[in-house]
Amino acid sequence: MRPSPAYFWLVVYSPSNSPDSPIFANSILRRLAQTPPIAFVLLVASPWFSRSVLFILSSLDPSGSLRVCMVMSSSVPQATMICIDNSEWMRNGDYAPRRLQAQADAVNLICGAKTQSNPENTVGLLAMAGKGVRVLVTPTSDLGKILACMHGLKIGGEMDLTAGVQVAHLALKHRQNKKQQQRIIVFAGSPIKHDKKTLEAIGRKLKKNSVAIDVVDFGELDDDDGKHEKLAALVAAVSNNDNSHIVPVPTGSSALSDVLISTPIFTGDGEGGSGFAASAAAAAAGGMSGFDFGVDPNIDPELALALRISMEEERARQEAAAKKAAEDDAKGEKGAEQASSSNDATMSEAGNTSAVAIDDKRRNLSDDEAALLEEALAMSMDVGKNKSVDIADTDMSDATTEDPELAHALQMSLQESTKEPVSQSDMSKVLEDPSFVASIITSLPGVDPNDPSLKDLLASLEGQSEVSFFLRLELCKSLNRYLQKKVV
Amino acid sequence: MSSSVIPRGQVDLVDFVDWSGVECLNQIGKNPIANALKQGYRDDDGLHLESDADEQLLIYIPFTQVVKLHSAVITGPEEEGPRTVKLFANKEHMGFSNVNDPPSDSFNISADNLKGKPVTLKYVKFQNVRSLTIFIEDNQGGGDVTKLQKISLYGTTVDTTNMKDLKKIEDH
Repeated sequence: MRPSPAYFWLVVYSPSNSPDSPIFANSILRRLAQTPPIAFVLLVASPWFSRSVLFILSSLDPSGSLRVCMVMSSSVPQATMICIDNSEWMRNGDYAPRRLQAQADAVNLICGAKTQSNPENTVGLLAMAGKGVRVLVTPTSDLGKILACMHGLKIGGEMDLTAGVQVAHLALKHRQNKKQQQRIIVFAGSPIKHDKKTLEAIGRKLKKNSVAIDVVDFGELDDDDGKHEKLAALVAAVSNNDNSHIVPVPTGSSALSDVLISTPIFTGDGEGGSGFAASAAAAAAGGMSGFDFGVDPNIDPELALALRISMEEERARQEAAAKKAAEDDAKGEKGAEQASSSNDATMSEAGNTSAVAIDDKRRNLSDDEAALLEEALAMSMDVGKNKSVDIADTDMSDATTEDPELAHALQMSLQESTKEPVSQSDMSKVLEDPSFVASIITSLPGVDPNDPSLKDLLASLEGQSEVSFFLRLELCKSLNRYLQKKVV
Repeated sequence: MSSSVIPRGQVDLVDFVDWSGVECLNQIGKNPIANALKQGYRDDDGLHLESDADEQLLIYIPFTQVVKLHSAVITGPEEEGPRTVKLFANKEHMGFSNVNDPPSDSFNISADNLKGKPVTLKYVKFQNVRSLTIFIEDNQGGGDVTKLQKISLYGTTVDTTNMKDLKKIEDH
């Protein structure tokens, strides 16, 4: 029988000056209400601090019963313009499959990262070569538009860096939400024909208007005309407190997008940072080693989530099958266990603050669990009424009829998925009462109150005026160990 | 630092500045606008506002309520202090591109002003001010860096409803 671990949420909340901090606070509270852990610790911390806490905790907790969710409130909203190089130089295949496709992948990643880290972020797209500098998409939070534009892009012409940057700046100036910070990301693949002074002048103008720039130096990397120097000068001219970066990407086996993930373009300027680092850290802490199922949850969150949910469902189904085989011991515990295994499924998500999709899947899962529970309970009730039973079942029904509190507790866990916050707080209050907990334990079928290990347990309970969450944790662990012994 | 004489009937509008919306373009990070505007900071001789990429500065100051502006005191060092100043009332989100629009008022700062003598503004143009944008076009010396010690605005408030004072009427 699977032990039911007690789940302990560590919610690390890093507020920032973002105006939508209250939205994130609400989403955290809503999530906690739906799947209440036994306890949670809310740490209001700076991003740096919370990351280090996460790391320490994950290394301290080998049993994996500590589920850590890091919810970072977003950084200040950003409007980003991505400048693509679609000149003739991009036909080269040194970045697989062609330089243009490598850029397209990178653009997808960036868009995803930006919108994930803050829903108010917008991204726009502009082509620097071709017939001339053209704005393909004005800053929008609709990823579909951006991906569609990348798809139809044609190669040709020569890249005009200065015009591209200036048009990008203009597009950002006319953004709808003036509170967004302005950022330009330039993919500089072809050689640069402008001189350093021009680039520096443009850089200063950008700095004056508080625009930040990130340059990806790839493709033609020869330093004959000092491409890297010029780009570095541009970035240095724009940089205000290191908010601008230049990323040289050498030709090699790894794709452009992979190299970019570890750069400041994705990890943020050190303000709030993107949610990537957070979710990767949370995944690691949650007992999963970074990339589960061979799918990077950052690149393909829906797929990773679907795989995870189906694993949970499979586990739950196997559990239920095993339980039906070993009915006697299972019945009394099932109430608590189904509750915590549905908690398991929901809490094993990494710190994804987003979608309705996730909520839906979660609710479906709880419904499945609840359905299983109802079934089992109905069976046991029926069996009790008929009276043509074996002793174990009678014990259960007796326990139920004699112990209205136990029945009540089971009832509440049944209603868990429908009547979430209220019943859960009742349950947790009920669980705090040591005498009640003791009575539950003794009335569980299959539990022999005279067993010495159990006696110790109950004795420790008596001593407490209130069952603290640590004690409950201990209690659950030892109870499971005990029951496991009984089954085996 | 000479003490500024507050014109009769006017108040220092620093209390009515909406600090969450104050912005300054082209300032150096370590010498931000707060050094020149905020009570306490602006009187500290060690703290000043400094420009970054070139000598121009664009300062946006929203107010928590509607005010009338009477005069202003802008002080700074002799060489790097501001010279040509343009004021725009109620123009949101200005950038360096539209600073050539006709201003509500513009004046040159003299050496006396830099020491604390208030500049009287065109009162009629500033009767109903929700936000003020100050554009500093160049400085006294003509160099690349403009420094400001203090910006104080004097005027009066227009009686408007303070939403925080609104209370529900109890049933009589």
